Amino acid sequence: MSSHEVNQTETLDVIDDLKWEKIHSSKVFRLSKIKQIIKRVILYNVLIVALIVTVIPLWSGIMSAFKTQADLSLTSPLAPPTIPTFEPFIYAWQELQQPLINSVLFTTLATIFSCLLGSICGFVLTKLKFKGSNTVFLLLTLGIFLPYQSIIIPLFITIRNLGIYDTMWAMILVHSVYGIPMTTLLFRSYYESIPESLINAAKTDGAGIMAIYRRLIFPLSPLPFVVAGVFQFTSIWNDYLFALILTGANFEPASFALSNMAGGTETAWNNTMAGTFLYSLPILLIFVVLGKYLMQGLMAGAVKG
Amino acid sequence: MPNVKIRNLVKKYGDIYALDKINLDINDGELFILLGPSGCGKTTTLFSIAGLIKPEEGEIWFGDHLVTSAERNYIERPQDRNIAMVFQDYAIYPHLTVFKNIAFPLQIINLSREEIKKRVFDTAKSLGIEDLLERKPKQLSGGQRQRVALARAIVREPNVFLMDEPLSNLDAKLRVFARAELKRLHKRLGITIIYVTHDQIEALSMGTTIAILNKGKIEQVGKPDIIYNVPKNLFVAGFIGSPPMNMIDGVLKQENGYTCIDLGFTKYKLSDELEKIKKMNNKKIILGIRPEDVLISKQNASNSIKANIDIIEPMGREFEIHLDLGEKILIAVLRKMDSLNTGDEVYLTFNDKKIHLFDKNTEENIFASNYKD
Repeated sequence: MSSHEVNQTETLDVIDDLKWEKIHSSKVFRLSKIKQIIKRVILYNVLIVALIVTVIPLWSGIMSAFKTQADLSLTSPLAPPTIPTFEPFIYAWQELQQPLINSVLFTTLATIFSCLLGSICGFVLTKLKFKGSNTVFLLLTLGIFLPYQSIIIPLFITIRNLGIYDTMWAMILVHSVYGIPMTTLLFRSYYESIPESLINAAKTDGAGIMAIYRRLIFPLSPLPFVVAGVFQFTSIWNDYLFALILTGANFEPASFALSNMAGGTETAWNNTMAGTFLYSLPILLIFVVLGKYLMQGLMAGAVKG
Repeated sequence: MPNVKIRNLVKKYGDIYALDKINLDINDGELFILLGPSGCGKTTTLFSIAGLIKPEEGEIWFGDHLVTSAERNYIERPQDRNIAMVFQDYAIYPHLTVFKNIAFPLQIINLSREEIKKRVFDTAKSLGIEDLLERKPKQLSGGQRQRVALARAIVREPNVFLMDEPLSNLDAKLRVFARAELKRLHKRLGITIIYVTHDQIEALSMGTTIAILNKGKIEQVGKPDIIYNVPKNLFVAGFIGSPPMNMIDGVLKQENGYTCIDLGFTKYKLSDELEKIKKMNNKKIILGIRPEDVLISKQNASNSIKANIDIIEPMGREFEIHLDLGEKILIAVLRKMDSLNTGDEVYLTFNDKKIHLFDKNTEENIFASNYKD
């Protein structure tokens, strides 16, 4: 930078400072500043209250999980444990071990199936349009708004007649099918942004429908797979109603087992809270690991879709 | 490589005819251009040849092999036609490296690894992109992407090449080189290329045959010089050439043994070589004359039209001169200015051999039937 330029910017800075001081000292500015501070104070107070309301149950849950049975009845739910113990965790792990393994299994498989099926549906509905494809899509999306409760009895009868009541396959089948509308919607909006010419190029390059999906569409979809996958995993993991209706003593999902822990004559809150903590770990883990991609995927959908 | 025959092809979108009974014969080894304004049906024709769209009527043959027939409800899938296509946006697979992009069609037909490697490398080398093989499409410039798209098309040695405005995304300077390169490639490989463009310069400079389409119909098919010098009708005459052909309304008259055109503001005598028009009297016509065939003189000669120079546009190598005829502006192109200035009074004559006369009603060129392609 030449000396001339330096001088010029310096003068400009001086003028700015002078102006700034003038604005600072003016009455109007002071009034507007006070208004701003009041606004901030109100806003932060509201936020702090919201934060407390959100965090207190979590805090109390974690604290309880580290307390002995005696400690639990002696101290306030908000107080930290007098002697922290891992007993509740050991107990909860013993209780929930098999149900957690069950849940991880069927949730993972159902997530994979529903995402794959949604991806294929999305591909077909955007890139291989056929007569009535819009109607099919409309009917599919209606599925999103269908409340679980309304289909529970026919669903139960169907599953029982299929002979898979109280097995892992019942949960996999139901969640895979129930996930298709949502995943199709997600994948469809992403695939809309893939240019038609890529598909045409693949066709003229000799690729059939299967090859186009396998070699082109699928490798282009990591982002929607993360978004749909996280969404599906969370909602399948958290499901209680299907677990309650379609499983029994033979195949116990974690959500169901957890509620059983709290459902005895006398609830050991420390054990239940430790169980809850174990139960929420997989979801936490997923969000920590995939959070970055999830944001990217959501943004991609928001901008392009 | 086979000939491509298109018979009575009709494609409708709703009530609109995108193609209205198209007939074309594309010979082996041609660089065949489909030229026309946007929405004329040229890309629809190309996509029909590729099998990407199904026409409502008509047939397409590759040699003796029927690939599309609406009447027999038969359409061979694009992947079975052994064609290759280059798209306007290149359509390079974004998740694959250049190598894998070029190898894509070969992998589909399950060639051996060594064979794929060899063919990809040879093709890349012939297009000068062998250094880019490990790059992703994101890391390539427009010109490089276009070469990758070309390489992917060439590598599988297809029956027919289809190109959908492959140069329109390049900048003007690069386009000039790419044009020459494509022409060289066509000569070297001796392949049939069907090439869609809306750019008449591309069409005239590259094509061995040009088909001009308008509103789903073929206006004219012919060699570039025939298209330029003997446009079959008013549309072709106006579409080809830049600046466009000058058009003036007039009436053919027979006076004192001469044939002349009454242009309203003046009468212009035609040379007596034009036998065919001698019988026509009081026929409404449109006179067409290309800017380079308008001759300007400062001296008043017989059978010349008086005009004023309205504006002069220097184009570097030549000058475009807008001439004010009172009711009409004509454009002339001159290589040398010869001390002409804006506002000068000049006298125009037309190069008699280059005069085009179009029937006002049918818009057909009255002389066109004298020529055979």
